[in-house]
Amino acid sequence: MTEKILARASGRPHVRPGDEVEARPDFVISYDFPGYTDVFFREARELGVERVQDPKRFVLFIDHMVPAATPKEEELHRGTRAWGADQGVPVHERKGIGHQVSAELGYATPGAFVVHFDGHVSQLGAFGTYAFGARKGVLEAYVSETMAIRVPPTVKIVLTGTLRPGVMARDVFHHLVRVMGPASCAFKAVELAGPVIDAMSIEGRQTICGQAMFLGANTMLIAPDARTLEWLQGRAQLDLAPVHPDADAVYERVVTVDVSALEPIVVVPPSPANTRDLSEHVGLEVHAGYLGSCASGRLEDLRAAAEVLRGRQIKPGFQLHVVPTSQAIMAQAAREGLIATLVEAGAFISSPTCDYCYGRIATMADGQRAVSTGTLNTPGRMGSVDSEIYLCNAAVVAASAIEGRIADPRPYLGAA
Amino acid sequence: MALPHLRGRVAWVFDEDDFDIDLIIGVRNIKITDLDELARLAMGDREPGFAATVQRGDLLVGGRNFGYGHPHYPAMRAMRHLGIAGVVAESFSPGFFRGEISMGFPLVTCPGILGLAARGDVLEVEWAAAEVRHPASSRALPLQPLADSERQTLEAGGLLPYLKARRSRAQGVHS
Repeated sequence: MTEKILARASGRPHVRPGDEVEARPDFVISYDFPGYTDVFFREARELGVERVQDPKRFVLFIDHMVPAATPKEEELHRGTRAWGADQGVPVHERKGIGHQVSAELGYATPGAFVVHFDGHVSQLGAFGTYAFGARKGVLEAYVSETMAIRVPPTVKIVLTGTLRPGVMARDVFHHLVRVMGPASCAFKAVELAGPVIDAMSIEGRQTICGQAMFLGANTMLIAPDARTLEWLQGRAQLDLAPVHPDADAVYERVVTVDVSALEPIVVVPPSPANTRDLSEHVGLEVHAGYLGSCASGRLEDLRAAAEVLRGRQIKPGFQLHVVPTSQAIMAQAAREGLIATLVEAGAFISSPTCDYCYGRIATMADGQRAVSTGTLNTPGRMGSVDSEIYLCNAAVVAASAIEGRIADPRPYLGAA
Repeated sequence: MALPHLRGRVAWVFDEDDFDIDLIIGVRNIKITDLDELARLAMGDREPGFAATVQRGDLLVGGRNFGYGHPHYPAMRAMRHLGIAGVVAESFSPGFFRGEISMGFPLVTCPGILGLAARGDVLEVEWAAAEVRHPASSRALPLQPLADSERQTLEAGGLLPYLKARRSRAQGVHS
């Protein structure tokens, strides 16, 4: 799939792993962040590029520092709005986390080549898009129509078996890190397939693809199926023929992972490389919980949390923050009554923002410990460097909120 | 243009796998932009006084998947400010690799390096011969070559000067 997408984007009949090509991104996606977009805007001007080429290829999201807490933050947002208006580049703010909203707005066109500076854009791969985080290298896309990239080899991961109740996409991803290793797919594209993926919701696929960087991968893709095409109906920004792998596609490696025996996991500090069985850590005292981020916080996560929390109360003093990933998700959660259930249980619900994931708000103090569906568990990510983050699925966050300790959600699921 | 010549002492060996480079300055200091302050803080959690031990041209040695996590730029900014000229590692995390090459900071992928070099040893990177040399033992290890665009970015001193040169060349051709 990767080779087909990059061949089209670079105007070649075919490309092979290792080829260095000049590929034209179909979309260049960014969120405004100091040191990135403000610098790209300035450096592009310094390079004599007054206008980006084909501004409809570009899109900006304002999802960090929302709402602004300092005049400086609002100044950054104002600069972003002004740049977008001047260039004819759409700016979406307060719609949700950009990686999710890009999918909702159809930038995740199957077969498209998309770049961002943030690697979590790989979640657009859930729709068969090759979406790549180039960090500061994205400047090249702002000043030139193409980007130099090396075509990566592809590792195919086939997920077989059936997920047990209470085991979510988040567990599957971190299990892959455990069995394959955090550098196992370094500089490679991953193609994800198999009956587990076929049966998995779009949201679950987004969750897995979005974390690809923690396997070292450039990105992760899933071939579009009927579920994908139905989800995308009326959304796709580009009219491209969806790309599927050939029956005789060549992979650098094919790894089959059976997930039938998988139990819920936790990822213990200080690194996303540290996947452990939840059962090893049940009972550990926790003070805060975060359910949200581009990696989780979608409807199935909110539904799972609501199922755990329905008719129950979180432990007094425990801080449970629930942040739906987009406004569309939040509105649907309200229609389904999930918001009421979560609020009645004692959750603090926020409108969509990235800010809980990196400790800009709901900041932890020394010695505190959180369960989180955020992206990362590095010390200091959510506050003090002497606080700790245990990554887990949404149901685990909810169950732990009830007990004030890391808890197995399965006894609560379906028991209300 | 040529790739920057690297010959220097190993100022530190990060022998752990998946090292999160944000820990070099501490996540709490990540928003600091003052280079002197960042440089002073570098390695503070591991070896206070580290800054004073670094000489211009020194190198860092890293383990496998060096730069894993969400690497931010201040750590290597601090190291460059101290005089660190590059990192030689068993392997790099892709996001870190791309980001620092864009900054014009040489990263050398050299499997086996942890077994070759100790802190204080001199290493020399011979780009043309595609090897990393350890003069004290007269041993050398092959390095993994850069992609053309990566090499050109490093030769130019970073992505911005690289793009600048490319644009002026392109304009020269058209005019």
